[in-house]
Amino acid sequence: MLKNDLLISVEDLHKSFGRLEVLKGVSENIYKGEVVSVIGPSGGGKSTFLRCLNLLEIPSSGHIYFEGMDITDKKADIDVIRRKMGMVFQHFNVFPNMTVGENVSMAPILLKKKNKAQMDDITKELLNKVGLLEKINDYPAKLSGGQKQRLAIVRALAMEPDVMLFDEPTSALDPEMVGEVLHVIKELVKTGMTTVIVTHEMGFAKEISDRVFFMDGGIIAEKGTPDEVFANPQNPRTKEFLGKVLY
Amino acid sequence: MEFFKVMADIWCEYWGLFLKGLGLTIWMGLLTVIFSTVFGSLMAMMRRSTWGIGKFRPISAIASVYVEVIRGTPILLQLYFFYFMMPKWFPVLNLSEFTCVLMACCVNSVAYVCEIVRAGIQAVDNGQMEAARSLGLNSRQAMMKVVLPQAVKNILPALCNEFVAVVKETSLASTFFCGELMTQFKTINSITFRVLEPLTIIGIIYFLLTFTMSKFIAALERRLGTDA
Repeated sequence: MLKNDLLISVEDLHKSFGRLEVLKGVSENIYKGEVVSVIGPSGGGKSTFLRCLNLLEIPSSGHIYFEGMDITDKKADIDVIRRKMGMVFQHFNVFPNMTVGENVSMAPILLKKKNKAQMDDITKELLNKVGLLEKINDYPAKLSGGQKQRLAIVRALAMEPDVMLFDEPTSALDPEMVGEVLHVIKELVKTGMTTVIVTHEMGFAKEISDRVFFMDGGIIAEKGTPDEVFANPQNPRTKEFLGKVLY
Repeated sequence: MEFFKVMADIWCEYWGLFLKGLGLTIWMGLLTVIFSTVFGSLMAMMRRSTWGIGKFRPISAIASVYVEVIRGTPILLQLYFFYFMMPKWFPVLNLSEFTCVLMACCVNSVAYVCEIVRAGIQAVDNGQMEAARSLGLNSRQAMMKVVLPQAVKNILPALCNEFVAVVKETSLASTFFCGELMTQFKTINSITFRVLEPLTIIGIIYFLLTFTMSKFIAALERRLGTDA
């Protein structure tokens, strides 16, 4: 990878909640166009790592550079930086007080990224891509879990982010809805979007990732291409974890 | 039958007083409600403020102390306090009895509304705030666009219940003969030496007033529930 392709650079990231140290020094680079899956046991720090990337959790120490800027610097305008980082949550967090269409168009219009007329077209196009166009005037209460998550994905995409962060996007879904959401993410990855995804879907991680991080005990215990990590893990903890989740 | 006859007689003789009392009760309730909605919301914002030095958050602390003191002391005590102390401390303002009592009602209600608003905001899932922030909205925009519109659904019904409580609490103002409904009972009682009949009449008026409000609240709750 070329050095100027560097998108996110993490340096010795630590995060504690009270006395509990969840991240114990994570250093990693993520490059433009790369798809990175983060796997590992619960409590290993996966979600915390992801949430630190857009400062939903404030790191206790360490630095995060995004597009060359130190976003952990107190002077950095985090609201502006977050506009370039899309985030999808485990529990969708779609806005129930807005229609499906408004969920998508609210932020770009409010933040003056696009005017209303432009956004009407973009909203329709985005919703069409994920098969939700006919729901544009419905409220999210009428949507299934899978539909809500697809909506959450296009809501993030409407801000035209440079990177998409997925925090266990299928963990709260009924099994029959997992496929439709993974399909949308797969299509997104094909467009070359830089993606970091925390997931328990090992087959999916193996299929779409350029690199896989195995996180355990607050550090990246092992990393490599999917083949390296899944087929030939070196770390005994990775072996143990994969032994439990891959049958 | 004697009872109903006396009641009818009293109504026919003094209906003007009853209506005047009712008017003042509604007026007091309305002023209190408007004042406490505005300042209770502000107080809730203060209570949620995270501004401070280290772990000490002075704005939040002031609001917390206010709420705890007001909720921890009887409203009648607060009425006495304002009734006697305000004219003494601020003689230049030339406050009427009614104003003093109204101030006590407002100060009392602000504390309760503060807690209603705070609880309503807190009941909105934190993921909503996070999702809004992750799109690049600042905390004020996220609050106005995402959290508050959802909090309103939690707040409105509880707020209306507070209004019903306020209307009933205004009866305490009769302690100082403020002229609202309960005061009119005292007046009519002192003229006619009747207790049960005028008491029944104002009881019915209070009930009709609060019952109407409850029905209105129930309708409001149903309406808010539909598009959730």
